[in-house]
Amino acid sequence: MWRKSARSLVLVLALGAAARLAAQEPDDSAAISNAIRTTPGDSVGRLMAPEAAGRPADVVTARDNEDLVKAIEHKIHCTCGCNLDVFTCRTTDFTCSTSPAMHRMVLARLDSGMTEAQVLASFQRQYGEMIFMAPPKHGFNWAAYLMPYAALAVGLGLVGAVARRWFRATPRAGPAADAGAASGAASPEELERLKRELEKFEA
Amino acid sequence: MTDIGNIALWITFFVALWASVVGFIAGRTHRPELARSAERSIFVMWGLLVVAAVALMRALLTHDFNVEYVAAYTSRNLPVFYTWSSFYAGQKGSLLLWALVVSTFGSVALLVNRGKYKELTPYVAATLAIVVVFFVATMVFASNPFERLGFTPPDGRGLNPQLQNPGMVFHPPMLYLGYTSISVPFAFAVAALLSGRLDTGWLHAIRRWTLVSWLFLSCGIVLGMWWAYVELGWGGYWAWDPVENASFLPWLTMTAFLHSVMIQEKRGMLKKWNIGLVVGSFLLSIFGTFLTRSGVISSVHSFSQSNVGWFFLVFLVLAAVLGFGLLAWRWPMLEAEVKLESVVSREGAFLFNNLILIVIAFAVFWLTLFPVISEALRGTKVTVGPPAFNLVNVPLGLALLLLTGIGPLIAWRRASPENLKRQFLWPVTAMVVTAVSLAAIRMSDWYSLVAYALGAFVVGTVVQEFVRGTLARHHLHGEFYPLALVRLVGRNRRRYGGYVVHLGMVMLFAAFAGLAFKRETEVTLKPGQSVDVKSPYGWTYHITHQGVSQYEELNRYVTAASVDVLRNGKYIGTMKSEKRQHLDSLGRPTFEPSTAVAIHSDAREDLYIVFAGAVQGTEEAVYRITINPLVWWVWYGGLVLAAGGLITLWPGAQGPTAASRRRAEPAGYVAQVGA
Repeated sequence: MWRKSARSLVLVLALGAAARLAAQEPDDSAAISNAIRTTPGDSVGRLMAPEAAGRPADVVTARDNEDLVKAIEHKIHCTCGCNLDVFTCRTTDFTCSTSPAMHRMVLARLDSGMTEAQVLASFQRQYGEMIFMAPPKHGFNWAAYLMPYAALAVGLGLVGAVARRWFRATPRAGPAADAGAASGAASPEELERLKRELEKFEA
Repeated sequence: MTDIGNIALWITFFVALWASVVGFIAGRTHRPELARSAERSIFVMWGLLVVAAVALMRALLTHDFNVEYVAAYTSRNLPVFYTWSSFYAGQKGSLLLWALVVSTFGSVALLVNRGKYKELTPYVAATLAIVVVFFVATMVFASNPFERLGFTPPDGRGLNPQLQNPGMVFHPPMLYLGYTSISVPFAFAVAALLSGRLDTGWLHAIRRWTLVSWLFLSCGIVLGMWWAYVELGWGGYWAWDPVENASFLPWLTMTAFLHSVMIQEKRGMLKKWNIGLVVGSFLLSIFGTFLTRSGVISSVHSFSQSNVGWFFLVFLVLAAVLGFGLLAWRWPMLEAEVKLESVVSREGAFLFNNLILIVIAFAVFWLTLFPVISEALRGTKVTVGPPAFNLVNVPLGLALLLLTGIGPLIAWRRASPENLKRQFLWPVTAMVVTAVSLAAIRMSDWYSLVAYALGAFVVGTVVQEFVRGTLARHHLHGEFYPLALVRLVGRNRRRYGGYVVHLGMVMLFAAFAGLAFKRETEVTLKPGQSVDVKSPYGWTYHITHQGVSQYEELNRYVTAASVDVLRNGKYIGTMKSEKRQHLDSLGRPTFEPSTAVAIHSDAREDLYIVFAGAVQGTEEAVYRITINPLVWWVWYGGLVLAAGGLITLWPGAQGPTAASRRRAEPAGYVAQVGA
């Protein structure tokens, strides 16, 4: 059934496209695009197999794209189990019904006069701390952010302690080693030595 | 044939058990006939696993749906190209692939080291056999790929559409190769600890293996990023998902090892640390597999939860006890031969580089497990997503980038002020000029600004090294500059290959920093309607919806939405994004519709368009439009990284350094290495 429907649709679209192209200036892609831009289609064709195109989409409004809405939705976690934030999930996982519902909740709460902080707090009351994409910075959650730096501090301390022990055990005499690379501005003596070493090395 | 595969698995189990027991006895008693038996058992094990793999592949190709695994992951109309992916798409097949690759690497390691390292090889064979015993036991006792159904379905469920992507054909095998090849350095480390031969000899044996492992992991990670970017449709390539993190962790520790091993080879220092890194890398490779199979942490990559997770946990604990227990036992034998003379030395820089790499690894590990820790300690569930990972890791990553530049500039042992001045002048100048230029054009994101400035510093160091080396060869040998450059690299591939890797890292960092300027929007368009989207570079994309078409293609029904795109009024192409409803051979829908993204990419930015759906079954389409700056640099940075790794690995490159050979001399390895 789908195959037949698809063939019909392709035929309809091909005819439509041909009719549109016939109305344009030939061999001028910019002109074609400009014409399309200025003459948006009045009627919208129906898909032969809409169920194959995934979940029916809603018309996107300017409200859906507001920076404030996006900012809030990037901070809250979709509870469908996808590990994504609500904005990313609702604009990516088109089988998810949770993120569109959470998006509507965000809009409704903003419409009721809540600020960003209040909206986020309301989600926390509803779902707990797990609703946020990052642990809120209080109490035990600080451990998430600070432990790696505590580890860095401990590591630096250990390196310092070991280095001090080594310094005590080692006489500080002896010339510094040469730099890793030869310099283009080296002296003739240095170049001669480098040449000998390179020859020795390459042998 | 599947019965033969099943029998082959059982025989492998017993042969591997034999090899592990005999190998340890041979190592302990120095009986050559037992050592030979252990070694041959590894080859037999490999042959048996090849038989099992062929049996499974045949079942997949011949659509033997009576085999549960075949019915679960293939269908009659699955393209043959993706039948290969179905081999490891499920847990059972991936376990078989893992066991096969470990035994393959084990066999190769024993073959190439035949006649060398005689005191180590019995233990190496035994350790590798234990790893294979574990994987085969997991299969035969808990997750058998040859398990049969009580009936034969007319068609299989098919392969998840998201796995029907070229990236998925290469990304998982690359990661498996990376994970499994760590088993060889681990086996040599265990062998060195058990035998007490703790000089640099065992490091010579694993030099190439660690590089191979690192290279496979790098390629696997970048290919995984590419797959996520082109297939999942969320507009990014790295989400700090637990399974992504699991592949990143051993990469970090292997990267640390590749730096610190140079200190041991050159100066005889950091012996304990290096063994710890090898053991840790192996454990982290198992930890990643445990994460995906235990269900401990939710991940988009998770296999279905099963008791296999417990097998991995037990193995992980036992391997940790064995590895670190042996390290503790041999601790007094692993004292450094010389001491650090100055923190301002290459040893010092590498030490700090290792510290940062390990702290990043710890941060990733800690944040990945933090939800579990929080729930266990407080009873409160939390989510740790990209914002938390970025907050912690971005400063650490920038510190690492700084050290990437500093390391090659400082002399071994102790740098003199003259040396520092000469080496740092141009790279620091490049850094300052970049920072000032970006500040002048009002780059708004400070982290990005710092990343680009440090990137310029690292590029400065690498260019300086190449230029000075080439000039020196030109002066000394009178070679033309291109020839001097080629010979410079050819004669010291490890060093200059490493610098190329550094360039690749800078490209990756530049791409990551570009994410700060990402723009995304969602629109609904009827055919003929347009939307203007502003790029961070200032130009405007004019995107016009052309229409939606539906047609059948291969094993799917496609709904394709097309847009014409103009950049600042200039036509740049027609882009097509699709919804794909996969069908089985009877024409029935299998999975939920998946998405195929339309991407227009150049070195500056990607225009990334996703057809999000049709409004009420009409041609009115919803699009998600994302502008991703500098994504191109991730893929090409990955290529440069891999090229650097290949230069370092290329056959004919000189072996261990003279200093390292001297260190191996007391153990009698020199003749062996030179052989």
